[in-house]
Amino acid sequence: MEWTMTANAPGQVCLMQGNEAIVRGAVEAGIHFAASYPGSPSSQVLGMLGKIARERNFYAEWSANEVCALQACIGASFAGGRALCIVKQNGLLCTADALHCAAQHGVKGGLVIVTSDDPGAHSSTNEFDSRWQAVSAGIPLLEPTTMQETKDMLPYAFQLSEELGQLVLVRVTTRVCHGRGNVVLGALPERPRPLQPVREWDRMVCVCYMHAPALEKLEAARREFETSDYNHYSGPEQAKWLIVASGAGRLYAQEAVRRLAISEKVGLLSLGTLWPLPEDMILQYLEPAETVLVLEEVDPFLMHNLEAIAGKHRLSISFLERSEDFSPQVGELNPDIVMDCVSDMAGIPLPEKTVPEIELDLPEREMTFCAGCPHRATFFLLKKALRKEKHPGIVVGDIGCYFMAGQSAGQYGFQVCNCMGSGINVAEGLGQLTNYGLNQKVVTVCGDSTFFHTILPGLVNAVYHQANMLLIVLDNSATAMTGFQPHPGTGLTAMGDSVKPMDIPKILDAVGCSVEIADPFDVEASEKVLERLLQKPGMNVLIMRQPCATLKAKEQKRPVRVWVDQSKCIGDGCGCDKFCSRVWGCPGNTWDFQANKAFVDPVTCVGCGVCAKLCPGGAIQVEGGAEE
Amino acid sequence: MLSTIALDTQVIRPGLCTGCGACQGLCPYWGSVNGRTVCYFDCERRDGRCQQFCPRMPTDLEALRDRFFPAETVLPELGPFRGLYLTRAADSDIRGRSQHGGTMTALVELALQEGLIDAAVLTRSKGGLKPEGVLAAAAEEVRACSGSSFQAPPTLAVLNRALQEDRYHKIGVVGTPCKTLAVYKMKAASLPENRRYADNIGLVFGLFCGWGLDWDGLEDLTAKRLDGAFPAHMDIPPSKYHSLELRKEGGETVSVNLDEVTPLVRSGCRYCTDMTAEFADLSVGGARTAGGWEVDKGWNQVIARSEKGVELLELARKKGVLEYKDIPAAALDKLKGASLGKKRTGGENLRRLSEDA
Repeated sequence: MEWTMTANAPGQVCLMQGNEAIVRGAVEAGIHFAASYPGSPSSQVLGMLGKIARERNFYAEWSANEVCALQACIGASFAGGRALCIVKQNGLLCTADALHCAAQHGVKGGLVIVTSDDPGAHSSTNEFDSRWQAVSAGIPLLEPTTMQETKDMLPYAFQLSEELGQLVLVRVTTRVCHGRGNVVLGALPERPRPLQPVREWDRMVCVCYMHAPALEKLEAARREFETSDYNHYSGPEQAKWLIVASGAGRLYAQEAVRRLAISEKVGLLSLGTLWPLPEDMILQYLEPAETVLVLEEVDPFLMHNLEAIAGKHRLSISFLERSEDFSPQVGELNPDIVMDCVSDMAGIPLPEKTVPEIELDLPEREMTFCAGCPHRATFFLLKKALRKEKHPGIVVGDIGCYFMAGQSAGQYGFQVCNCMGSGINVAEGLGQLTNYGLNQKVVTVCGDSTFFHTILPGLVNAVYHQANMLLIVLDNSATAMTGFQPHPGTGLTAMGDSVKPMDIPKILDAVGCSVEIADPFDVEASEKVLERLLQKPGMNVLIMRQPCATLKAKEQKRPVRVWVDQSKCIGDGCGCDKFCSRVWGCPGNTWDFQANKAFVDPVTCVGCGVCAKLCPGGAIQVEGGAEE
Repeated sequence: MLSTIALDTQVIRPGLCTGCGACQGLCPYWGSVNGRTVCYFDCERRDGRCQQFCPRMPTDLEALRDRFFPAETVLPELGPFRGLYLTRAADSDIRGRSQHGGTMTALVELALQEGLIDAAVLTRSKGGLKPEGVLAAAAEEVRACSGSSFQAPPTLAVLNRALQEDRYHKIGVVGTPCKTLAVYKMKAASLPENRRYADNIGLVFGLFCGWGLDWDGLEDLTAKRLDGAFPAHMDIPPSKYHSLELRKEGGETVSVNLDEVTPLVRSGCRYCTDMTAEFADLSVGGARTAGGWEVDKGWNQVIARSEKGVELLELARKKGVLEYKDIPAAALDKLKGASLGKKRTGGENLRRLSEDA
C-alpha cells in the first residue's frame, strides 16, 4: 500500500481502493496538513496519511473530533498550507458552524474537505446526504466516480480552492471509498511548497460583509464548471431520454445502457461538479429531453436542482420520481436497481439472467459485540441493576460499538440515543427533571474516544448544574468501532509518536465529578458498585475499565481455556434455559445440538471467563492462567 | 406463554404477587429486591417451575387438597382440621423472644432434635423488619428466627436452593399461607426437574397471617415514628385496639393508629383468602379467644391438620416442650368467623379485580 502512496512514478498504473486514491491525490497535491476523526467509510484515509506524513513532509493527526480537525485545517490554510480534512457525513454536520464561517472568511492555502457518505448506513447509525452542506455554506462541491477521478480530483480541488480562496467539499460514498480500480499515478512534488508567513494585516475573519464576496466565489466556480472535464455527455444529440448521474450511479448507468444496447437512444450526462451546477451546460441537454432519470445516492439533490433549472427555463420534462419500487429513496443504488430504472424508462425489457440465482439458507444474525467484549458485561449488569429499581430507569445511549447495546447484545440496553456525544446532555435534561417529579434513575454511557470527542462540554454542563445522573464511561482504551485509531487517552498519535496519554479519571476529578472505577469482568464487585452509584444523588461517574477484547487478542495469546463440563450443564432445562448462549449471548457461547448442552467455541472464545462466573449450573470451567 | 411473561402479566403487574420466593432460587431469571419480585431477564420456557410453584397462578385448590388431606378432615372455614389447641412454649427463653407463645419455635426445635426434619427453612427478621430466609440445620439456629416479620420475605428461594443442593432430605418449612400453598404446589408439581427434589420436603408449618406490609412503606413508617431508630419488636394486638405497637430497644412502645398502616398492606395480600395456612401439617397463630387480650397474651392457637401434625403435637406434650391450656367452648367458632372474614374480603377484592381487568 505505502509504495503506491509515495512512489514518484508518473504513468505507473496501480490498483487502488478509493480511500487510497484520496491519499494519493492528497500527496500529489503536496498537502501540508491533514486532520480527521475516524468514521466509516473513509476511516482508513488518515491512518494511511499518518504513516507517510514524515516521509512526505506533512503533518497528520487524528483530532479529538471533527470540529478540531476542520479548524486546525483552517489554521494551516492561514499560513498558506494545503490542508485536507476527512470526515464522514455525521462528522461534516458536526463541523457545520466552522464550515459556514470558513465559507464566509475564505481560505488562503487550499482547504479541501473530503466527506464520505454511507448510503444505507452500513457502518453508521443513519444515512444522510452531505451535499446540502455545500449548498447551505455556499461552497463548491465535487463528487468523483472512479478511483482515477478520485485521485485526480484531489489536486484539482486544492487548485480550485486556492483560485477561489474558498474551501472545497469533495463528496464520496461507500462504493467509491471501498471500491477498487486502476489509477495512473501522477507526479509527486519534491516536497510541499514553502508556507507563507502570516503578515500583520492578513485576515481570515468571519464577518457579515464577507457574504457577498463568498457568493462571487461561487459564481466564479460555476463559470469554471461550465467547461469542466469532470462533466461529460455520451449518447445521441438531442436525446429525448436523458440519464443524469453522479458518483456510483454513473457506472451503474453506463453498464445499464450498454447491456440494454440503448446508447443510440438514451443520453447519459455524468456530473462531477455538483455545486454550483453548470447550468448552461446542463440546459443544452435538458432542452431536448422529454424524460429524465436522475441517478444519485441518498437524497434527490441533483434531481431537485435539475427540476429547478427546468422550471426556470419553462421546460416540459417528466422527471422520473423516486419511489419504493423505482429507485428507492433510502439505501444504496446498485446495478440491479439502476438496470430496472433504465429499462423502465426506455421501455425495453430486462435481458434474461444467464447466471442462476443461488439460494443460501443463511441464519439471520443480529449485530453483536465481539466475543469477550467488556461492553456485554457492563450492559448485562446495568440491565440487572435497573430491573432491581422500583421505578424503571432510563438509559441514554451514545455512539460507538456500544450503540449495539440497543439490541440483544446489550439486553436492549438503552431507550434513547441521539448523535455522538449527545448522551450526557440528553441525560442531563432527564436528570434535572428528577427534581420535578420524574421518579426514575437516569444513566448514560460513552466510550473513551467519545469522551474526548464531545462528552467533555456536556460533562462540564451536567456537573455544574448538578444533574442527578450516572455517566458510565466504557473505557476499552480504543476507538474500536472504526478500527483502533488512537485518541487522546491512548498515548499514541497518527504519526506514530508516543505522547502522554490523557487520564480520564483525572479529568473527571478536575471537573468535580465523583468517580469510581470498576472492572466489568469482575461481575460481582461491579454489580455492587453500579447499584450503589444508582442510589447516590447528584452527578456520578463510573468508569468501566477493561481493554477491548479484539485489542487484547491482538496483543496477547488467549490466557486461559474456557470449556463446558457438559455433565454439569443444565442445558435448556428449567433453571437455565441456555442462559449462556441465549441471554449472555457471547459469540463464544454456542450450543452443542447433539448433546443438547452448552458449548464454548474454542476458536471464538477469547477467555474473558465471565460466562463461567454467570453459569447457573457451574458447568463452565476456566483452565490455566491466573484468573484476572 | 413464556413462564417469565406469564408471571409478569398474570401475577406481578396485576398486583397479586405475595413475594413468597417460590419462583426464586431456581435460575438466573428471578430475584427479589426489598420484597419486590424482579425478573432480570426473560426465560423462554413455557413450563418453568416458577409459574408452576407460584401460589398466585391458577390452582385447583380442591384437587391439591384432596391429594394430601382426607376429605373428611376438611372444614369449609378452616381447611383440613384434626384439632385446635391453645399452647405455649414451656421454655421461658423461647417465650421471651417470641411473638406470642413461642409454640412454633418450640415445635421446629423439637422436630429437628427428634430427626423428624433434618433442616428447616425459616424467616429471620430484626424487630419485624428486614426479614430474610434462613436454612437452619441445628435446633440452636431456630431461636434466632423467633418472632413475626411484618414484611413478607422471599423465604422459599432458600427452600428452592436447599432442595436442589440435595444435602437435606426432610426439610421442614415454616411459612405464611401463601408460602405453604406454594410448598404444596411444589410437592405436587410434575416437572422432571422437580421430581428429584420434591421428596426432600418434610413437615410444613403454617403461620396464621392477616397480611404483610410493603417493605419500603413500613420502613419509612417505623423510621418516622421511631425517629430513625430500629424497632426491637412490633405487634398488632386484637382488633379493638386498632393499632400497631412498635417497641424500641429500651422497651418504650409507640402505638401507631392502624389507619396509618393499612394503606401499606402489600397489594397481593388484599386478595388472599387464607388466614390459617390451610395447606400445612399444622398451623400456628396468636391466641384470640373470647377471654380477651389479657387472657390470650403469650399464648398460641394451633390447628393440627395432618396425622404428622397431630403426632408432633402429641410428642411435644409428652416431652413437655409445650404447655397446653383448655380451649374455651367458643374459640373454634371465633376462629372460623375470622377465617371466613378474610375469605370474604379477599374473594370480594378478587372479584373486583377480575371485573376491572
